[in-house]
Amino acid sequence: MRGGWVEPGPLDDEDKLNRDQARSVLRRLWTLLGPYRSAVYVASLVLVAQTACLLAGPWLVRYGVDAGLIDKNASALNRASIAYLIVALIGLVLGRIVIWMVSKTGEQFLRYLRARVFKHLIGLSMGFFEREKTGRLVARMTSDIDALQELISQGLVMFVQNILIFFGAIVVIFWMSWQLALAVLVIVPPVVFASRWFRRESNRAYLEVRESIGTNMATLQEGLEGVRVVQAFGREGGWTRRFRDTNEAQFEANLETVRISARYFPLVEFTGVVGIAVIVGAGGVMVNEAIISVGTVLAFVLYLNNIFEPIQQLSQLYNTVQSSGAALQKIFGLLDTEAAVGEKPGAVDLPAEGVLKIGAVSFAYGGGPPDTDGVVAPEGPIVLSGVSLEVLPGERLALVGPTGAGKSTLAKLMVRFYDPREGHVTFGGVDLRDATLASLRERIVVVPQEGFLFAGTVRENVRVGRVGATNAEIDAAIAALGLAQIFESFPDGLDTEVRERGSRLSAGEKQLVSLARAALADPALLVLDEATSNLDPGTERQVELALERLSEGRTVVVVAHRLSTAERCDRIAVVDGGRLVEIGTHDELIERRERYSRLFAAWDAGQERTA
Amino acid sequence: MVVDDEREIRRAGWRLIGNAVRPQKWWIAGGITAGIVWTAAKLTIPLLAAAAIDDGLHQGDIGHVIRLTCVMIAVGVVQGICTGLRRYSAFRIALRTETDLRQRLFAHLQRLHFAFHDHAQTGQLMARANTDIQQIETLVILMPLTAASLVTMIGVIVIMALEDPVLALLALGAMPFLNIAAARFSKRIAPVNMDLQQELADLSGVVEESLSGIRVVKGFGAERMQIEKLEAEADAVLDRALASARLRAGFMPLIDFLPTLSMVAILFYGGHQVLAGQLEIGSILAFNLYIFMLIWPLRMVGMLIAQASRASAGGGRVDQILKTDLLITDAPGAVAMPVGPGEIRFEGVRFGYGPGRAVLNGLDLTIRGGEAVALVGATGGGKSTIGRLLPRFYDIEGGALLIDGVDVRSIRIAELRSEIGIVFEDTFLFSDSVRENIAFANPEASFESVQRAARLSGAEEFVTKLPDGYDTIVGENGFSLSGGQRQRIAIARAVLADPRILILDDATSAVDPTKEHEIRAALGEVMEGRTTLIIAHRPATIALADRVVLIDDGRAIAQGTHDELLASSQRYREVLAQAEAAGPIALDAAP
Repeated sequence: MRGGWVEPGPLDDEDKLNRDQARSVLRRLWTLLGPYRSAVYVASLVLVAQTACLLAGPWLVRYGVDAGLIDKNASALNRASIAYLIVALIGLVLGRIVIWMVSKTGEQFLRYLRARVFKHLIGLSMGFFEREKTGRLVARMTSDIDALQELISQGLVMFVQNILIFFGAIVVIFWMSWQLALAVLVIVPPVVFASRWFRRESNRAYLEVRESIGTNMATLQEGLEGVRVVQAFGREGGWTRRFRDTNEAQFEANLETVRISARYFPLVEFTGVVGIAVIVGAGGVMVNEAIISVGTVLAFVLYLNNIFEPIQQLSQLYNTVQSSGAALQKIFGLLDTEAAVGEKPGAVDLPAEGVLKIGAVSFAYGGGPPDTDGVVAPEGPIVLSGVSLEVLPGERLALVGPTGAGKSTLAKLMVRFYDPREGHVTFGGVDLRDATLASLRERIVVVPQEGFLFAGTVRENVRVGRVGATNAEIDAAIAALGLAQIFESFPDGLDTEVRERGSRLSAGEKQLVSLARAALADPALLVLDEATSNLDPGTERQVELALERLSEGRTVVVVAHRLSTAERCDRIAVVDGGRLVEIGTHDELIERRERYSRLFAAWDAGQERTA
Repeated sequence: MVVDDEREIRRAGWRLIGNAVRPQKWWIAGGITAGIVWTAAKLTIPLLAAAAIDDGLHQGDIGHVIRLTCVMIAVGVVQGICTGLRRYSAFRIALRTETDLRQRLFAHLQRLHFAFHDHAQTGQLMARANTDIQQIETLVILMPLTAASLVTMIGVIVIMALEDPVLALLALGAMPFLNIAAARFSKRIAPVNMDLQQELADLSGVVEESLSGIRVVKGFGAERMQIEKLEAEADAVLDRALASARLRAGFMPLIDFLPTLSMVAILFYGGHQVLAGQLEIGSILAFNLYIFMLIWPLRMVGMLIAQASRASAGGGRVDQILKTDLLITDAPGAVAMPVGPGEIRFEGVRFGYGPGRAVLNGLDLTIRGGEAVALVGATGGGKSTIGRLLPRFYDIEGGALLIDGVDVRSIRIAELRSEIGIVFEDTFLFSDSVRENIAFANPEASFESVQRAARLSGAEEFVTKLPDGYDTIVGENGFSLSGGQRQRIAIARAVLADPRILILDDATSAVDPTKEHEIRAALGEVMEGRTTLIIAHRPATIALADRVVLIDDGRAIAQGTHDELLASSQRYREVLAQAEAAGPIALDAAP
């Protein structure tokens, strides 16, 4: 009874495929398996041979009993024993080969699938990433592929082998004696029926368990994270009672699964005994009538195990196979998503320098290609309408305006994270949609608000600016911003591991790394999204200095959240309600006494209040 | 030394498991009884089958064969019922143990002092309540099941030895190897699988950071770099997965092979014994069936040993939390909260968060009942700490802290805390409705009082605009609120508690400056008749206070009105200027 108490994992509706979906998933999988197909054929053959070895055992026992014991022929008995030993050894060797082959092929296929899915994913356009939740996308690459990995390492061989054993054993017993086979098979329908009932019921119960665990863990986590508030308001008792409720609910949900298996397993064991009783009883009668031999009765009892176990195992493996199918379908869904912002055939490189020209641009989020579930996002409200604007080489332009005015969206269009719905964005006369992506990323660089760092060293993080840059180039970029000393002062200098998300560095230090990255990229146009979060005054100054140096000799567009930043720029564009409402120098706009001058006055008053 | 520690932790783990299981002695007794009957029934079946074959063969007595068949079915019924019972009791005992332990752990964690939680990570505590307790659960399931397996093994050995000792030895000779192989396999595969899990986690880390930092990746065209990182991780995963596959390929086929060896031995030696007239043919069948019966129990014993080690270690870790003493408890003979105006006196108070981390160095400060005092000072100067000592989140280390002349350590904690309302700097909202969050201190509070608290904290306006108004679910998985909105709900929560002493720890730092003046008037009403401590940087917030105290280096170094301090204290001006420089001007909020 191997695997006797291992319970199947739950499946919810989302994890189930209907027949058509399953067929199309299989067909695509087969296409994707391309180079691995020959290995699949060979493994299948070996698996059939191994199963034959397993099934040969009882047959040889039958021969040994009938030809050896009943007919009192010692050499027949010896022949049977030796043959049995040999097929067992062959089975052992074949078993090892098949597990190794399937695992090796499967794991190599997964390695290929991981790289392929990731390459596809990371090549999708920004709009896709802003629409999809990161967690869901990460799941495609992790839990979905892991589900396949589990199938390959735990279930696939067993699944196929159990099917082969089950049908193989049935064929053999019919061949030996169709009468006794028919008698024995009366036990198969109840077991099949009970196993299906068990799978269905335990599946339902496990979904409840999963849900109750989720709720209970959420309560636990909240009770821990909010423990200070709980204690401050003297609510320890209330929360402990609340946890008791969810904790007991988890107990009850678990107990329900136990109740279900406490009904199923007795039936299974009982039916097994009935099977033996039928064979011995009916077989005894038939031996007496000389319809079958004693060896056949013995072989039947041994084969009974080969019929019984697969039914149970298959009902347990069913969920693993199903969820792998569902995982594959989701992965295929992702592979079907196409990049909205791609490179045109015959794209040209952007010129090294030039005027950035926004011509009558309108934009709305949403629409576009379907997401991984095939759903097309509804078109959102108009974010920008009819915005025209030019930025001259070497000029510094500030974009200001209230939250939701469209200034960040405008910045995103400048770097082609999105394409405009109407109008065009050109750099040096070339429409960004006609430019090669490589030259676009080289000429135009965006520095996001918070310095985002990847796990790795400081140096590796700077190298993100230009993959393939030498150490000397990185040092030069850092020196150009006057950051060499600061970076040297990190525990291991440039080789300091910043840890996950740069958790070892302060927010300001992360921004400095991010700026060094931009300096290494050495773009003609720099789009800055100013940070809204606080930095300590010391680092704030360093960031400002580095930013100043970075801006030298480049065209700069900054999404400004502070008027002091705007004040330092050559020109200021005020965006509101998706339109460009004012543009000009600081002095000009103050003169005009419109939007900008009102913003500035309010800010100035605030300054004085605190001073 | 370390080994001794580890051994002691495991011993404590065993004690914990023992104590947790003991209350269920009736289920244990029932489970054991069912297990023994089950084993007996199971062992009888092969004997009956053998007898039926031999009798039918030799005597041709069909009636006897049919009778034996009926007995077999009857025994099957008993076996079935008992297997249900033994499984049910085993799982029930384990689940009860798991649930009770988790409940104890949670109740204890809820009451452990702040200092404990400052050092503990939520993730770690979750792992105790989850993984470690589940290890114990698994062990408790396995124990009765393994006990039945052991009885089965002994029964099989005895029956076979009585029938034919030599055959028993030959047949069973190979079986211990299954056990040995299983133990070796799990020992060798455990580290490989752990490495594999680690590599998978690393891979998922690359995916996650690539997607979280997608703006950087796309902005610099650094896709190639991340793809290379991922491929390196995928290779590492492949390497470990293949190592694991190699071990499995070595072991798995043995599960079928070793029992087959026994069957070959039975056929060969048993067959010759039959030819020699020493054994009946039926026994060949019985022996084969017994071999089937042994496969699972032998593997189970190996599993139990591995599981026992994991569970005792997990139990030890749980026990370490459970035996952490509560540092802050009611003193013997604690008194009621004094009835008074709510005067607070710090007399030479000293406090630190551990050795070498002194924060307050002899703080003297008196706040009259009903007075509002602003504490101003540089980061790390001890302002927030002052607010946390009052409700005894931490106990002072020297000096005295008195409310209306009574030492806080002699007041019953529940009463003390119910009279002190504190709004923390980093607001925590529970995943409940806005209404439940505001009524946190008193879930029975009327809707009117919730609304009133919301109005006084300046939360009413935005709450009524939320999708479901006061019934909108907030918190981690709920509607996401801005920092300022969260702070206003936290203030409402404190207002509803109707405390005599109110502590606002940077409670409006995230509120938009233009909105702040709106709630300032309301806060004035809230503070009416309460002693209030305001910890703040912004002049607008400081203006709420009657008096300002400048805290520096754990002492009160100057006090007076805001204007007086501006005029007289250089340090005060510095502190305010620093705070100013660090804060952004909220341009978006301008008209």
